Amino acid sequence: MQKVLIVDDEDVLRMLIEDTLEDLEEVELHTAENGREAMMKLSRNRFDLVILDYMMPELTGIEVLGLMDEEMKAATPILMLTAKAQDADRNRAREAGARYFMPKPFSPMELLQIVEGILSDKKKPQ
Amino acid sequence: MIRRSLSNMSIKKKYSRIIAGLIILVILTGAGLYLYINSEQERLNHNQEVLQHKAGTINEMAATLNEVFFRVRGYSLLKSDHELQLAYEALDKLGTVLQAYSKLKLSPEEADFEEALEVYLDQYQKVTLPKAIAFVKQDNYTGLRALAKDGNTQAVNDFLAYTKNYETRSNQQLSDMVDQSLKQANDFTILAFLLSTALLLLFTLMIWRILKIVIDPIVQLEQATNSLAAGEAVLLSKLHKQDEIGRLYEAFLNMAHSIQDKEEELMMQNEELLAQQDELQDQQFKLERSLSEIENMMKALDQSSAVAILSQKGIFTYANENLSEYTGYKNAELTGSTFRLLDVENLADAQKQQIIRKLSTGGVWSNEVRMNMKNGTPVWLHMTIMPYLNDDGEIYQYILIANNITSMKNVQQELAETLKNTEQTKIMLERSNQLNHDITYTLDKQDFAEKFIEFMNKQYAFDSSLFLLVKDNITVVKGVPQENVERYLGSESGNMLHRMRTEKSYITKRPSTLREQGIAPEGTDSYDFYSTVVNAQDDVLAVFCGTRIGHSFSEDEINEIQGMMNRVALAIERLFMYEEIEYGRRLNQDIVNNVNEGIQFVQMDGSMLHMNQVLAQMFGYNEWSAGDLIPKERWSGHFIHTANESDELELFYQKAMSEHFIESSSMKYSLGKESLKHIDMYAIPVYRRETRFGTLFVHRDITREYELDLMKSDLVSTVSHELRTPLSSVLGFTELLLSKTMKPEKQLKYLETIHREAQRLTELINDFLDLQRMESGTQQYNPEPLNLSELVLGVIDQYKLSGTHHILLEDEAQNAEVEVDRDKIVQVLTNLLSNAIKFSPGASEIKVMLHNEPERIVVEIQDHGLGIPNNQIGQLFQKFRRVDNSASKRIGGTGLGLAICKEIIEKQKGSIGIESEEGEGSTVWFSLPLRNASGNRHEDEPIKLSADKEQKPNVMIVEDDYSLSLLLSEELKGKGFRVTHHYHPQEAFEQALKTPFVAIVVDLMLGEELDGWDLIRMLKDDARTEHVPIIISSALDKTDKNMLDNVQKYLTKPYPPGELTGTLQEIVGIRQRSGEVLFPDSSPWDNGE
Repeated sequence: MQKVLIVDDEDVLRMLIEDTLEDLEEVELHTAENGREAMMKLSRNRFDLVILDYMMPELTGIEVLGLMDEEMKAATPILMLTAKAQDADRNRAREAGARYFMPKPFSPMELLQIVEGILSDKKKPQ
Repeated sequence: MIRRSLSNMSIKKKYSRIIAGLIILVILTGAGLYLYINSEQERLNHNQEVLQHKAGTINEMAATLNEVFFRVRGYSLLKSDHELQLAYEALDKLGTVLQAYSKLKLSPEEADFEEALEVYLDQYQKVTLPKAIAFVKQDNYTGLRALAKDGNTQAVNDFLAYTKNYETRSNQQLSDMVDQSLKQANDFTILAFLLSTALLLLFTLMIWRILKIVIDPIVQLEQATNSLAAGEAVLLSKLHKQDEIGRLYEAFLNMAHSIQDKEEELMMQNEELLAQQDELQDQQFKLERSLSEIENMMKALDQSSAVAILSQKGIFTYANENLSEYTGYKNAELTGSTFRLLDVENLADAQKQQIIRKLSTGGVWSNEVRMNMKNGTPVWLHMTIMPYLNDDGEIYQYILIANNITSMKNVQQELAETLKNTEQTKIMLERSNQLNHDITYTLDKQDFAEKFIEFMNKQYAFDSSLFLLVKDNITVVKGVPQENVERYLGSESGNMLHRMRTEKSYITKRPSTLREQGIAPEGTDSYDFYSTVVNAQDDVLAVFCGTRIGHSFSEDEINEIQGMMNRVALAIERLFMYEEIEYGRRLNQDIVNNVNEGIQFVQMDGSMLHMNQVLAQMFGYNEWSAGDLIPKERWSGHFIHTANESDELELFYQKAMSEHFIESSSMKYSLGKESLKHIDMYAIPVYRRETRFGTLFVHRDITREYELDLMKSDLVSTVSHELRTPLSSVLGFTELLLSKTMKPEKQLKYLETIHREAQRLTELINDFLDLQRMESGTQQYNPEPLNLSELVLGVIDQYKLSGTHHILLEDEAQNAEVEVDRDKIVQVLTNLLSNAIKFSPGASEIKVMLHNEPERIVVEIQDHGLGIPNNQIGQLFQKFRRVDNSASKRIGGTGLGLAICKEIIEKQKGSIGIESEEGEGSTVWFSLPLRNASGNRHEDEPIKLSADKEQKPNVMIVEDDYSLSLLLSEELKGKGFRVTHHYHPQEAFEQALKTPFVAIVVDLMLGEELDGWDLIRMLKDDARTEHVPIIISSALDKTDKNMLDNVQKYLTKPYPPGELTGTLQEIVGIRQRSGEVLFPDSSPWDNGE
């Protein structure tokens, strides 16, 4: 089973992402309401993908990335999903260690495809 | 020096000193010699004596010794003791003599001798003699002989021989001594002779020297005297001596020189005398010639001047033709008459007396006199009178010489008059110049008018005048009685104005008024002069009116004044022009100073010609004042360093001021440290007639625009984020709906979500639109009468379902009737509640409180959230503002909410504010005016509870149906209760622990987890709340009988609200009646705190 962590402070969006990805086989979906919760979950489990919102209370997405150590970042692909869609934001996310970037509003199907791609890539070397 | 002084000493003195010295020397030498000889003689004598004495002593010693031996022999022969006695005596004597001898001065030989003798004697006395005596006594003559032979006798004999020898020797010595003294005497004689010879020689030498000193010069003198007598030149060198001879020489030389000088002088005098003689002859010749000249001159004088001779008494004895011509008297008439005949006019009697006195003392008098001729014609004469004195110094006649100077006098008088006129003209010209100067440099019209009128009065002797500047209505009067002013402007003005239109100036003549006449004789006329000042367009600029009493105006004066008026016209026009320019200048300056931009004009060389106050304030630079020209190095440094971007500003200044700078350009910089001021500065090259002559710098404070810009870009970023989130949901769920098959329930859920998110989107858009409307001022308000409590309850109802926060209402307002726009107030409430929820993520409770203040109702929304930093509270209500900290950044929001709220509340005559403490939470309040401030209470109130807030009975309603809740609370408030709402049992319980309630109204059907029964159980199980009466308000029938024991009253819905009120009043009434203290100090609720 592959594990995906969805981090977003907006209930609705969490639900949207969960529902989008629910049909993926052999994938376990986890959610976190904010950065703090996300960090907690990240420290307990290894995830194959983290879908991370940018603007959140407590800890922002960038701050979460800052808290993750390099090893974890190398092992865990991060998909930054954010309403902050300007180039500067994109660069900042990349610098912080996010490998994938998707601006809001996003297409669930596209997200599904990307997630599928990432997860299958992840599976291959193993 | 000494030599010199010696040589200068007189001979007599010198030689007397030398002679005196010599005499003293001789005396001293003589005395010394004498003393020496004497002492030598004495020494010799003494030696002789000593020798003799010594010889005597030795003789005596010999005699005594002989006696001793004699006696001893005698004794030895005779054995007579007497002889021995005598021997002893002789021996004693010998000791004495020897003693005396030893005391004498002895030669070594003598001393030896004496010593030997002494030893011998001692030997003899002590050894030999007693031995001998003993032999004698023993009659041992053999022994005695042996003893004698033993040398004793020999010693005596030697001794005796020595004495004998000594005698001869001393005698020899004595004779030597005599010889020596004789020889010495001889030597002395030779010495005395030599001394005398030397003295003689010295004297001879001296005399010879004196003779040489004295005689030689005398001989020379003699020769000189001879040569002097012979008349030859005296060739005598001066002796450089000051002694008698020297002085004699000098005296002689002087004498010789003076004699020679005298001789020369005499010669010269002689020559002079000869010359004088020649001259005298010459003079005589000249005198003769002069005499003839004088005679000629006299003749000429007689011809040209009047000549008369007066006797000592002043009687004419002679008068020539000229005098009779000048005086008009005939010669015969004059002769014999006294000088008083001449009628001199310009001399007073006293002066005449003075003249006579002067003349009588021999002085000459001369002066100009004016006299009348015989026929009365005045004539000017230059008269000279000379007295003639005889040898005794007495006057015997006077000569009078007179010249006619009448014509000259006349010319002189004319000249003086001309001069006087010229002087006057000069003064007038000066005045005129002064006026020109004044009117050229005066910039003040009043001043100008005053100067002008003063000039007119002085120049043209106006007694009174008036000057009126038509346009400005400036009137200046000088010495004008009121009647004249009235005359000028008043009754006659019609006439005047009429005439002025046609004539530039005119003169009227009228009899002087009484006041004008003053001390002037009656019947004097006054002349009024009227003149206008017109410009080239014939507009009347000014009017001049002046009056002269007694004398009219000449043609010249009139022309002059008219000319003057033309100049005045020019001056007035110039004044107008100046005023216009000045006005324009001031206007420009005011404009420049009052614009919001800082303006600065810099010349090509970099010096600052102008800057306005705004710029001065911007840079805190107060060194420029109007008219100053500040060199570049003095201003630019200050400007450049004040700006934060010094280098850029310096570069910009440099570029803009360079010659190549043609197009205008701009830059931005900032000022200040704490609160930045953003300035947009642009430079414009300034040209005058196509020549660049400076640069204009305009500094515009764009801080507001700058900040607005920042806020707007901030807003755009926020807005895009805010819009993207709901848009994501809408688009995402739609896509899911379209691309996936799912259960109808799920579809419905998706659609609901889409709907809600779309609504959120709409809200956001509405916010922006509101903002837009507010900014453009087109927001419409539709006020309607409504109850604010109801409205608040309604809004809170919508948040009932929010999972995270509980909203608590505390409604104490007795009058909530307001007239406002319902939708707008709902918007405000929604906004404030959303904010409270958004910004208190950690806390769960939000309290909404309503209460009345005089004529207002106040709504407070309190949260226990993040709070707001103190320094940002002020900015909260500004548009686009959001508390700028990391926590709030994560929360999102347009940041428009509070600004919109403020706008809405203030537009409806309310006010809004916020109190907050960072980390503690915030309370936002707003107040609105009551619709009907008075009569805010129902008239049929049965129980009037204390209006005191603290004393109001608290009632809690736990009810999830807000409309019922509202209905009940309105009813209860009307009856003086304070109502707190809750819909969640747990919270209600917690609230009950905190607040003392008189009763709690509970609905049984509440949320899913806990219901009303649970709440009642909780309340009753807790010691702190068990006594609180509980009223059940439920749609259910009474079922659980057990629980009913704990319940005060069971109201089954629907029931009229009055029923609840009644029940509550009952409860309160019972408590009051029974005297129970409503809220005892030992309240169980305190224990839990």
